[in-house]
Amino acid sequence: MKLVTFLYHGEERIGALDSIGRIVDLHKAFACWKHETESMPHADQLAGAILGQDMLEFLQHGEKSLEAARKSLAYIAAIEPASNKAVVIAPSEVHFMAPVPRPGALISAGKNFSDHVAEMASKKGPAAPVAFLKLPGSVIGPEDDIPYPPEVKNLDYEVEVAIVIGKTCVRVSEAQALDYVAGYCVFNDISARDIIRSENQTGIHLMGKSFPGFAPMGPYLVTADEVADPQSLKLRLTVNGEIRQQSNLNYMIFKIREMIAYWSQMELHPGDVLTTGTPRGVAAGRKANETPWWLKPGDLVEAEAEGLGVLRNRVVAES
Amino acid sequence: MKLYLGLLESSRPDETRIFGELEEKLFDVTLACAAYLTQLTGERASAYKLAEFYFPKSIQHFLERDRFAVKLLEEVTAFVQSKGASNLCGPAGEKIVYDREEIRALPPLVRPRKSFVIGFSDKARAEAIPRSEIPTAYYKLPQTFIAQGAPIVWPKFSEDLDADGCFAVVIGKAGRRIPAEKAWDYVAGVTLMIDITARDINKREGLTTNNLLGKNFPSSTCLGPAVLIGAARKTIESLELEFLVEGERRQYFSLSNCIFTVEQIIARWSILGIRPGDWLAIGGSMTIFGDRLQSPVPLKLGSAICCRSSLIGDLSHRVVSA
Repeated sequence: MKLVTFLYHGEERIGALDSIGRIVDLHKAFACWKHETESMPHADQLAGAILGQDMLEFLQHGEKSLEAARKSLAYIAAIEPASNKAVVIAPSEVHFMAPVPRPGALISAGKNFSDHVAEMASKKGPAAPVAFLKLPGSVIGPEDDIPYPPEVKNLDYEVEVAIVIGKTCVRVSEAQALDYVAGYCVFNDISARDIIRSENQTGIHLMGKSFPGFAPMGPYLVTADEVADPQSLKLRLTVNGEIRQQSNLNYMIFKIREMIAYWSQMELHPGDVLTTGTPRGVAAGRKANETPWWLKPGDLVEAEAEGLGVLRNRVVAES
Repeated sequence: MKLYLGLLESSRPDETRIFGELEEKLFDVTLACAAYLTQLTGERASAYKLAEFYFPKSIQHFLERDRFAVKLLEEVTAFVQSKGASNLCGPAGEKIVYDREEIRALPPLVRPRKSFVIGFSDKARAEAIPRSEIPTAYYKLPQTFIAQGAPIVWPKFSEDLDADGCFAVVIGKAGRRIPAEKAWDYVAGVTLMIDITARDINKREGLTTNNLLGKNFPSSTCLGPAVLIGAARKTIESLELEFLVEGERRQYFSLSNCIFTVEQIIARWSILGIRPGDWLAIGGSMTIFGDRLQSPVPLKLGSAICCRSSLIGDLSHRVVSA
């Protein structure tokens, strides 16, 4: 399934995309299925209890909600419900949010592609997985702008894949790690390099990675069963149509399984998100004699990963 | 006034309630407010509704009600004191006074958007008193919070834990890019925090200017026991904090010993935006004692630790094995 969170008439709802890219409202689809096939009373109220009110709850409900969603979608695909019930909605009628708009923890890998480690002039790759926390509150969706804060001089992009955890995991093995993944989506780790540099003088970086809107995520969450080999997805990022980053998750230093196994030492929960780290091609890696690639207001950044769609955001000066 | 967050034994995990303190006991603030309003107006039905509005189920939500709620809290406090613990009950005679053992304590601020600790890297700390314009900080995940009394579980991945007693300055008003001279307008109160660090992991992570696993494992953030609300700036700045291991004082400071002022810290971190219930913590390790910064305190399995400040209370824990 391609799971989405969207605003419809101002209300936050969860859905899945159908075969032609329309949105199926999961609560309404479930209610429609149960009402029409079993004449179940109060099916619309039950939908929230079974599926969860938002994506975080949906993930917390685990297999139960996934199964209910799959069956509801299959039913809707077969019957094509009346358009006035708003079970199936055209994408133009909604505002897409990040598929998981409020992750529990947002753990972003750093220095995880050797070509990126080299361009950032680090001596060598790390001995154990390196990551930092981005504020969950900095997450935005595929139809939101990236606000350019007045404090920032060097704004950068980083295409990554977000791994959304689906089950609580504590010290899991690498062999089993992928069983704990709910799904994958595209992620852009927006970074204020000048702020990070100043923070790193005496502390760790926090502000430089966590201004509001510095964590675009989406456009949808592809459930793990539909991603055959997450470790070999191609990545690409363009700015105003020009290719800046192009790579493959194969080149990760610590693979997805290793990351999950390692970070599960701190206990991961449904709705927590790990991101893969980024390959070379970021603006910070440009040499002094090259044209700078820093993001500017007005730039259109398109991050994509094979099979996970395109995450498109415009940089807009903060008013 | 001190506010606690807790659960009655019969309650669901999300049915949290705000409690106040009276004669060594705890009382349900929402129902005490309803009793006060009933006495004031004679309207019981609306009194329940109003009380729920001003004292919803979390301290964060209460703080969102801003100065009106704080003003009402003052009146409710005067009301319960005039009644006394043995005569205090809800508008319909409900039990609203409890022994401490009847209430399951929770961290007073459950899911803040920002829970930051001001701190330097080991590299910066190599100097006795590092010079910096920037009060750098790190983020403690809400999922690591534990309440007063809960055990600190020694993580399997570490050989070396230490603790830093902290004041957590609690935000009461939303704002962004707040100038230093206005900073105190945004402070609602203060609570205590103990920042537990897996120092061996933290040192390694520090080599890449990160800290994550070393600071964010289950039970690495002790918070509570209560939030002190409505205290004057002078009172908060001069509150003393004692951090004790096995009853022995290992850290001692007040906010005025910190190398950054609360104004500087709020001015800096409100750049990202702050909201009611967020907190910014300042530990002993960022305060000057003699001619250098104090250090965090090493822990052992079985250590009994306590972070104490007279107007807030004791935040005590024991270190246990996994």
